[in-house]
Amino acid sequence: MNDPATTRLEERSRALLCASVENLDMPTRSRLTQARHAALAAAGRGSRLRDLRWWAPAAGFSAAALLGVALWFGPVGIDRHAGSAVRMSSPPAAENQTSLEDLDIVASADEMELLQDDVEFYDWADRAASADPGSVG
Amino acid sequence: MPRFATLDAAWMVWDGPAPAREDAALDQTRELEKFLAEIERRAFRMAQVALRDPDDAMDVVQDAMLKLARNYAAKPSAEWRPLFYRILENGIRDLQRRRSVRKRVMAWLPGPKEDPDNEASDPLDSVADGGPAVPDLMMQSEAMEQLEISLRQLPARQREAFLLRNLEGLDVAETAAAMGCSQGSVKTHYSRAVHALRAQLGEVW
Repeated sequence: MNDPATTRLEERSRALLCASVENLDMPTRSRLTQARHAALAAAGRGSRLRDLRWWAPAAGFSAAALLGVALWFGPVGIDRHAGSAVRMSSPPAAENQTSLEDLDIVASADEMELLQDDVEFYDWADRAASADPGSVG
Repeated sequence: MPRFATLDAAWMVWDGPAPAREDAALDQTRELEKFLAEIERRAFRMAQVALRDPDDAMDVVQDAMLKLARNYAAKPSAEWRPLFYRILENGIRDLQRRRSVRKRVMAWLPGPKEDPDNEASDPLDSVADGGPAVPDLMMQSEAMEQLEISLRQLPARQREAFLLRNLEGLDVAETAAAMGCSQGSVKTHYSRAVHALRAQLGEVW
């Protein structure tokens, strides 16, 4: 148990500190209220961003999986001879190779210009290759 | 027993008012705001006693509010108080450390040296509008000033223990959680703080 002098000191200091809290001036009280609102608003924004942060990896993973599936199963194109949307008839490894080559061509502006220069030649080469795979190249 | 009795029960559950996530978040925000409103003035006074500068005290309190709301709002509300004061005390300590570094750097630079920590505080700063009569107020203000001076002379951990127990009214366990130390250490710090204050204020009080 505390001695009376200690108890008196504790009580008096508590009373003084509490009075100084109660007597805080209005500008300080107002600033504290503003600070509280600002903190709660910022925390709200932060929590929304955190929600997005949780979704971002899932969205990225889904996109990567979708891209992987698309690359694995190869391009779906129009078979001019059959006139319908079909999968190309080459084996998967060759298809992937073709897809990557196409990607290179699309990515390279020079190659696109080359293709545009002589579209008829490439059309003929494609038809000739389809007719007799051993005769071209 | 009807075949779909369980299904009916399930429908009743399904149709009942399920607590929406937004409502729960709103309730939590309201509760947190209530908590912050309740403690903000005492927290400000604690920071002001430690830092002397009201602007610095305001910054530290706001920062503590923000960190609590951002990182610990999901914790049970019973844990908010010790967590908040732990964040606040860490903020106060960081600021004091920065000041001390700044002071050391400024000591090397030429020019007039002004040390804001040694400025005598104006007793009229703590005088508020209204309230007690002027003589009582002056005596109260003078006593408060003496108490503040004595509190500032205490080591930081003793001052923390004294203010958390005496002003904020935390028990030993909560104070230990807020200070990040054992309950035995809290008792030791508090006891030393009281003895030091008695030695300084005993004659005046």
